[in-house]
Amino acid sequence: MTMTRPAIERPSPAHPGSGGSARRRVLALAAAETRLLLRNRTAVASSVLLPVAMVAAVGAIAVSNGGTVDGPGLIASAIGVTLTYVAFYNLVTTFVARREELVLQRMRTGELTDAEVLLGTAVPTLLVTVVQVVLVAVGVAVLGEWSAPVDVVLPLVALLGGGASMVVLAAVSTSFTRTVEAAQFTTLPLVLTATLLSGLLIPLTDLPEQVAQVARFLPLTPVVELSRLGLVGKTWNGQAVDTAGAWAASPLALAVLAGWLVGGALLARLVFRWAPRR
Amino acid sequence: MHLIDVGPRSGQEPTAPASAIEVIGLERRYGDFHAVRGISFEVHPGEVFALLGVNGAGKTSALEVLEGLAPPSNGSVRILGHDPHSERAAVRRYLGVQLQHSGLPGDLTVQETVHTWARTLTDPRPVGEALEQVDLSGRTDVRVRSLSGGERRRLDLALALLGRPRVLVLDEPTTGLDPESRRVVWGIVRGLVRGGAAVVLTTHHLEEAEELADRIAIMRAGLIVASGTPHEISAAQPATIRFTLPEGAPPLPQLPGVRVEHVAPEVELSTFALQSTLTQLLAWAAEHELELMGLQARAASLEQAFLAVADGSVPTAA
Repeated sequence: MTMTRPAIERPSPAHPGSGGSARRRVLALAAAETRLLLRNRTAVASSVLLPVAMVAAVGAIAVSNGGTVDGPGLIASAIGVTLTYVAFYNLVTTFVARREELVLQRMRTGELTDAEVLLGTAVPTLLVTVVQVVLVAVGVAVLGEWSAPVDVVLPLVALLGGGASMVVLAAVSTSFTRTVEAAQFTTLPLVLTATLLSGLLIPLTDLPEQVAQVARFLPLTPVVELSRLGLVGKTWNGQAVDTAGAWAASPLALAVLAGWLVGGALLARLVFRWAPRR
Repeated sequence: MHLIDVGPRSGQEPTAPASAIEVIGLERRYGDFHAVRGISFEVHPGEVFALLGVNGAGKTSALEVLEGLAPPSNGSVRILGHDPHSERAAVRRYLGVQLQHSGLPGDLTVQETVHTWARTLTDPRPVGEALEQVDLSGRTDVRVRSLSGGERRRLDLALALLGRPRVLVLDEPTTGLDPESRRVVWGIVRGLVRGGAAVVLTTHHLEEAEELADRIAIMRAGLIVASGTPHEISAAQPATIRFTLPEGAPPLPQLPGVRVEHVAPEVELSTFALQSTLTQLLAWAAEHELELMGLQARAASLEQAFLAVADGSVPTAA
């Protein structure tokens, strides 16, 4: 009645999980998710308008005050702001929505690894973040407030490393966020600390000494620090540096960023839920 | 721990062992709740194994371990010789899964969904062929959110079959399908099995289990309480004879080995010797010139066995 086949007759495939096939899988998912984002015209429009409006507003205020715009500083701030308010927040809501819709559970039944599923889902949000930073940079150039950065690599590391750490931290936050609406509250810890203590709006030097020391170890602070080192040429406590000086001042920030990335990834692996609670 | 004699070398696909699916003492706990309490079964290539049980019996919890979505709390599961959770990469290539409830992004079209899924697989079938098999060729440009429930289920099946799986785990594959679509799915499963695939499915349709399954296991409260071929399981149940006695009928004769339930004027007899009991009954009715109204005689059915299990009484022979 039953016939057993001696062996599976197929040419031996590339070992699953090898770089080539992992990239293909992630790109497939990322392409689909990006297509979905583009179908949401409201999201697309607001994503583009936000940075443009931000730059225009800052420029208008500066002009009416008779002052100039700190172009590089604005780009550094844009990196911090978009990572916090756009990347982190939207990553949490996207992960939660996909989880509650049972899409994440379905994605896990194929050949995508867990990390590939999260990364593919996160790509559109990360793309939007990068596009917004670029738009701010363009706006700054248009306003004529562009000045050559001290170093280009450090801000790129801040943007990309910051993006990656937002993905893992969003994954961790998703584990205690029951619904998309709840995200407004569960994202507050990171958003508040980033706003107040990362040097984004309030320079760290304006904070009490002990607080500033602790603040340097929070997730977004190294992002702001590295961005400002490269774009503005100033350290966290306001010292001017050149390229070599910027790199000399970067190790702590780089280590803290790497620490949040690795620590966040380990924690996410432990706590992330792929399906709604029964 | 597992009885497979050939271990695959790294870089090669696993060679098909004697059993495609091997479950030994599988347990699954959620905190205090013990959903699966220790079940064991084997499925060979070319076989269909049906897992039946009421909702809450633990079928989906057990299947999730086979699907590699969760590790077992105890016991082991081997698919093609590998643990589907910890050796996921080795198994996934050959495993097709259809979950009972799963989601798809609503704003992609059917074509886009299948195309995206195909690109995540090592050796996908052509998209057109997969859609044609589940009869969705006419709906390729429809957004997933606009599909009917039955069409969604068929799309789920197409995705499960897209990677040319050798092992299939289907959780209620025909729930929500109209009878015709259900037969299409049965045809697909039979075709896969002829090609040597091993299939585990759960279903609420006992007819489906009888039609498709080579072997069945009935689960109740996390344990398997009956297993065997459909015939073996039904044979453990008695046949029934039902009729309605006319008014003023004499009392029923002594029928050895027969259980009688008499809710006047309706009578139900349970017997393991259908033919001889029926003969005695008809002889008695003829002798007294009685008409047994609405006479029905039925051999044991899977449904009876299933209901007996759901009832709490494990089927036994008289």
